[in-house]
Amino acid sequence: MGDTELELSPARLEELQKSPSASSTSTTSSLSLPSSPSSGPRPLTSSSPSTSEGLPTSSPPLDVISEGVGELSLVIDTEVAKKACQKVLQKVKFLKADGELSSANSEPVLVNGTAHPSEEEAEPVKNVRRRQKNNSSKQSWLLRLFESKLFDISMAISYLYNSKEPGVQAYIGNRLFSFRNEDVDFYLPQLLNMYIHMDEDVGDAIKPYVVHRCRQSINFSLQCAWLLGAYSSDMHISTQRHSRGTKLRKLILSDELKPSSQRIRREMPQPPPSCPPTLHHSQGMSEHSLSPSKRTHQRSKSDATVSISLSSNLKRTASNPKVETSQDEDLSSSSDSLELEAGTPVRLTPQREFIKSLMGIGKRLATLPTKEQKTQRLISELSLLNHKLPARVWLPTAGFDHHVVRVPHTQAVVLNSKDKAPYLIYVEVLECENFETSSVPVRIPETRIRSTRSVENLPDCGITPDQRASSFSTVPNYDNDDEAWSVDDIGELQVELPEIHTNSCDNISQFSVDSITSQESKEPIFIAAGDIRRRLSEQLAHTPTTFKRDPEDPSAVALKEPWQEKVRRIREGTPYGHLPNWRLLSVIVKCGDDLRQELLAYQVLKQLQIIWEQERVPLWIKPYKILVISSDSGMIEPVVNAVSIHQVKKQSQLSLLDYFRQEHGNYNTEEFLTAQRNFVQSCAGYCLICYLLQVKDRHNGNILLDSEGHIIHIDFGFILSSSPRNLGFETSAFKLTSEFVDVMGGLDGDMFNYYRMLMLQGLIAARKHMEKVIQIVEIMHQGSQLPCFHGSSTIRNLKERFHMNLTEEQLQVLVEQMVDGSMRSITTKLYDGFQYLTNGIM
Amino acid sequence: MAQTEKKAGLLRRTSSSKKPLKEKVLLMYEDIFTKEDPTKSNPRFWDELFLMKVNLEHLEGKLEALDGDEVVKIRDNINSLFHHCVQALAEEHQIKVVNALQTLCALFRGVHQKNKSATGFDIINMLMGFDKAELRMKELMESLDSLLCGDGSESLKSLCLKLLLCLVTVTDNISQNTILEYVMINSIFEAILQILSDVSSRARHGYDAVVLLALLVNYRKYESVNPYIVKLSIVDDEPTLDGMGRVIHHALAEYNRQYKEKEEENQGGFFSTLTSMVGSMFIADADEKLSVQTNEAILLALYEAVHLNRNFITVLAQSHPEIDIATAPAVPIPASPTTPLGTTPPSLDMMNNPELPLDPNLQTSNLLITFLKYSSIVMQDTKDEHRLNSARLFLIILTCIAEPMRHRKKAVDKSIPSRPLVCAVLDLMVEFIVTHMMKEFPMDLYVRCVQIIHKLICYQKKCRVRIHYTWRELWSALINLLKFLLSNETSLLSKHNIFQLALQVVNLFNMFITYGDTFLPTPSSYDELYYEIIRMHQVFDNLYCMVLRVSANAGPWKEPASKVTQALVNARAIINHFNPKIESYATVNHISQLSEDQVLEVVRTNYDTLTLKLQDGLDQFERYSEQPREAGFFKELVRSISLNVRKNVSLSTMSQDILLKEFSSIS
Repeated sequence: MGDTELELSPARLEELQKSPSASSTSTTSSLSLPSSPSSGPRPLTSSSPSTSEGLPTSSPPLDVISEGVGELSLVIDTEVAKKACQKVLQKVKFLKADGELSSANSEPVLVNGTAHPSEEEAEPVKNVRRRQKNNSSKQSWLLRLFESKLFDISMAISYLYNSKEPGVQAYIGNRLFSFRNEDVDFYLPQLLNMYIHMDEDVGDAIKPYVVHRCRQSINFSLQCAWLLGAYSSDMHISTQRHSRGTKLRKLILSDELKPSSQRIRREMPQPPPSCPPTLHHSQGMSEHSLSPSKRTHQRSKSDATVSISLSSNLKRTASNPKVETSQDEDLSSSSDSLELEAGTPVRLTPQREFIKSLMGIGKRLATLPTKEQKTQRLISELSLLNHKLPARVWLPTAGFDHHVVRVPHTQAVVLNSKDKAPYLIYVEVLECENFETSSVPVRIPETRIRSTRSVENLPDCGITPDQRASSFSTVPNYDNDDEAWSVDDIGELQVELPEIHTNSCDNISQFSVDSITSQESKEPIFIAAGDIRRRLSEQLAHTPTTFKRDPEDPSAVALKEPWQEKVRRIREGTPYGHLPNWRLLSVIVKCGDDLRQELLAYQVLKQLQIIWEQERVPLWIKPYKILVISSDSGMIEPVVNAVSIHQVKKQSQLSLLDYFRQEHGNYNTEEFLTAQRNFVQSCAGYCLICYLLQVKDRHNGNILLDSEGHIIHIDFGFILSSSPRNLGFETSAFKLTSEFVDVMGGLDGDMFNYYRMLMLQGLIAARKHMEKVIQIVEIMHQGSQLPCFHGSSTIRNLKERFHMNLTEEQLQVLVEQMVDGSMRSITTKLYDGFQYLTNGIM
Repeated sequence: MAQTEKKAGLLRRTSSSKKPLKEKVLLMYEDIFTKEDPTKSNPRFWDELFLMKVNLEHLEGKLEALDGDEVVKIRDNINSLFHHCVQALAEEHQIKVVNALQTLCALFRGVHQKNKSATGFDIINMLMGFDKAELRMKELMESLDSLLCGDGSESLKSLCLKLLLCLVTVTDNISQNTILEYVMINSIFEAILQILSDVSSRARHGYDAVVLLALLVNYRKYESVNPYIVKLSIVDDEPTLDGMGRVIHHALAEYNRQYKEKEEENQGGFFSTLTSMVGSMFIADADEKLSVQTNEAILLALYEAVHLNRNFITVLAQSHPEIDIATAPAVPIPASPTTPLGTTPPSLDMMNNPELPLDPNLQTSNLLITFLKYSSIVMQDTKDEHRLNSARLFLIILTCIAEPMRHRKKAVDKSIPSRPLVCAVLDLMVEFIVTHMMKEFPMDLYVRCVQIIHKLICYQKKCRVRIHYTWRELWSALINLLKFLLSNETSLLSKHNIFQLALQVVNLFNMFITYGDTFLPTPSSYDELYYEIIRMHQVFDNLYCMVLRVSANAGPWKEPASKVTQALVNARAIINHFNPKIESYATVNHISQLSEDQVLEVVRTNYDTLTLKLQDGLDQFERYSEQPREAGFFKELVRSISLNVRKNVSLSTMSQDILLKEFSSIS
């Protein structure tokens, strides 16, 4: 029974990996992860907090632990002491039940509490070994798979979803602790949706992990609460109220899930008693995949969770008031008053209030009739919001820890939407180590802009006052500003526009050398009108094209401005701009829109992006982050440096190709070719996305073009089984207009062939990893009333679009057909016409 | 509590037997207006006096009726009255404080009314006694300061401000009000700021506080160091400046709202043109006229804030909802407002009502926008002296805002979502230019207007700001202005130096012609400039002839006219260069009348053979300074405001009943 025998062939592994449902169902009957405690190995199910066994009435070695309890009662109240006592008793009972463990073995563990890795490790390994002996090879394979390096979060989610075996589910529930937080976070919607809508065993398996993470992070807590709310919303109201999801949500929002480390330290002067048997087990199982250091780390985490899950009344433990207040002091000392007054917990409050304010603004904007009014209102609402900043609030869509310090309210814009009022705000933040513990920045009043940036900042502009003066002295009569502009005025102006000055400070007048020399002799200066006109065109050509302001489309100008430019401009105008950790973020606030489909689309796009990257297919797509706050609100991470094709066409009045030439230069320039390649790679990527996800409502307002030539599809409101108004438009696989083909260089060009080839490669790669994509969608199907899951065949149809049965040659034919079909399809055109008539979108 | 009852009891008796007791006040006044010390006959005289309801008119009348000799005789008693008034301010009985405040007011007014020609020192001597004056005023100012800053009754605060306004406006010329020296020494600036920074007090007293501050700043502003000027110029507390902005904003917005209402009422009537409507409206409506006058004070306050305080400029562009602050729920203020975001301490009133009232009609705006709206209404008719003053003040304020040192804000204004405010300013200037070419030509306003445009363009040139503005309307307005100057040469020349204005206008064109590359939004806008000049070439031709003729003759206009001649060089060069080309284009293509596009085509293809002359100092301008040029204007303005405020400050409006009610509920 050497380990080598258990080596899985890669093919076998892949099989397991791909079809977990099949393998698990086929093995459940004989799987050696039984739920009956009578069998030799320790049952996995005992990790479940809902163990039906009552609390032990007998008190075996109470004398051993009574000492610890006595100590406890000195620092905490009797209630807690009693609970701790019960917990220990329960553990002891488990230990007793295990015939293998001698009391001598368990005693030291209980007394000093420190984990003895060697003993603990030895035990589960034994178990595993023994179990393996009894099991069929299939079971071993499954076990080996779980233990193997290939077992990733995606597979874990898949088994969690497909396995009907509580033991497997519980095992995976424990295994979640061993994955990196970021990896699990990606599947948070799936995890929580399973928690809400699937049977109790799955829920029980997931809960410890979720609770544990909630304790660790405010951000995670809020994400969970929001998602739980959003994904419970499709339940019937009566069941929803008492559902597990709602309960967990309430628990999280009650803010009783405090960081556990401190709590444990306080409640138990000694480290917690040894791990319950299940943990040993799980550790044994994950032994191969975990490094020793990681293992101990995991154990301490598991300790925490198990101690929670074992306490049947989690609430009572966590809400020990003494523990709470003392622990929160450092977190939110300034908000103590608020806590007292409002009587609500304060850990999550600032962020919740912040989000609530943003949503409130959106709701109020929706009542205003015109864009102009909405914009004005938005700006003043945000200026009010500014008075409450900085605060311990952050944008969940950002990739780093920070505190929001200011919303440059005049920069905010209302986005184009008929009856809702989504809006885009820019948010100034200060990056910090940890937004939960780092102190909140001090408010700097708006009026301080001056004092922070005055004459002393002059050298920043790249030229010294002397240089400047000398540049003036060559043209004494021309720009003799020393009289009219005081020194600090010049300073200010320079600070305002440093780049311009550095570029042209020496020739503000833009004079030819001749005219300067002639001027020194006090002769009149003559200049050619043609030069002025030429300089004007040249300068405008050098500056990136800007869009004209359009009151009906206020966002066009804001989005067209290059991001770096905007960052620089806003940084100049803010009192926080001088701080080195200042950053600018942006976010779209959606109120009245359900972003759950968007989130689903994001996950699918992200998964496909990873797949294509892994398979080295140079397809380009841009999944943008989605934050679901409820079933009708949320936030979107805006795509920077991008405007919609509709806006491009309306503003430039050019064909897409001509616009490309205007922006990137003529056909054979490096810039144009790069932009064209970007365009092709992104087109191919999004065509596949549109096909696989059946993305509908593809008009030019929903397709962005970024400054590098990529297209980016936005608005995944109609995907899979849903389509706008069921007009039967858009029957082609994806949108490919002749204008797009023109940019690609026409139907016969190399780039167009490249486009088709990319599509084929992309489809083959996606097909190879189909399960990963399907699983994301399928799990979210559970209990969902979203229109994209309308009907019964959504998942089947999705699977069919991967064409598992076709050869690569057949796939190629399919791609050709789809491209031709889209080219010839008049429905795309017709749909554009329809959009133009109804929404004014070109 | 016992005290209140006692007080209430006393007062009840007062009101139940009204008649004899009312006479008692008058009797007591009689006692003061004798040579005898009233405490001789009644040791508790002063105590009792301040429990009586003040009869302002009577007391004022008495003081006015005194003749020279009598005054000297009863001086001691008046000094004593003043002294006891000041003492009463520190009383716990609020009724006494109220009565003391009102009595003081009557004293200030009455004594000044009587001694209009007297020197300030005589008045001080009469009121307080010269040797005690410094001490008395110190006590008075300290009492007022603590009343204003304390958390006592709002009505008391209001009365304190009224008293101060009364004191400040008691002379026609504020600088001759010598008592104000003591107000300078014992500053109440901080109290004013505190009122402005607090929401509820701002809502109730903001207007008075702002007007008071504006007036105090104008006390001997050119002759001495006025501490209020110094202090105002260095305020950088955001909530305070913001509060000041809000008060001004609210007053202007209220005016705009009233105007809009009137306009809507009158719509469809036989008032066909806007101008005539506005004109008749204001002449007919005394009430409306009044509101224009009071707004002069607010404009003055805005001017002083913009002119003196660099930080105030950020407030200008800060947006506020146009809500009536008075009606905003400002009264119930929790002792420690909740901070929903939980971290930063509440700095502004917003903490109390974090959500604006949900009213779809609610317009949001900022002070600058509201100011521009207000100005555009006021400038529609400048016949009335007050409105002319307002228009002038408006242009002065804009001049200050347009100063490059203030341009911080303008840079922010490039903010993309809404149209840059600078466009609105330019629009307003264009509108003004177009609508005021009348017989009573407001030359002064025109010069300012063109200066403002010039400053804005200088800034844009300097910083390479390209605003998307349709400059064409400005060009056409300027050319029409030149045309107007030409056709009214004789009548205008008798009163004004039209060459100065003409030179400014022509130099604006020179800015566009020679520096257009630095600030015009598109190449085609440069073409359009040429098109406009060529299209209107006759105006430039005629102007050239005119200035040539005038400069040929000796006389006062020789020099200014010849400057215009030189400045016209480029416009003439353009006309002389392109006109033949356009004609030949027409002949070659057999077209009688060229379309705009055709002309633009000719322009575009013939730039290279045109040479322009660079003018000196085009982008130089005189920095705004109040002294000496505007000093006279402000003196007159402040005088007019003083008269108006004096007329409208009414202490008697505050009925005793209201006060009693308030005080009985306090305790």
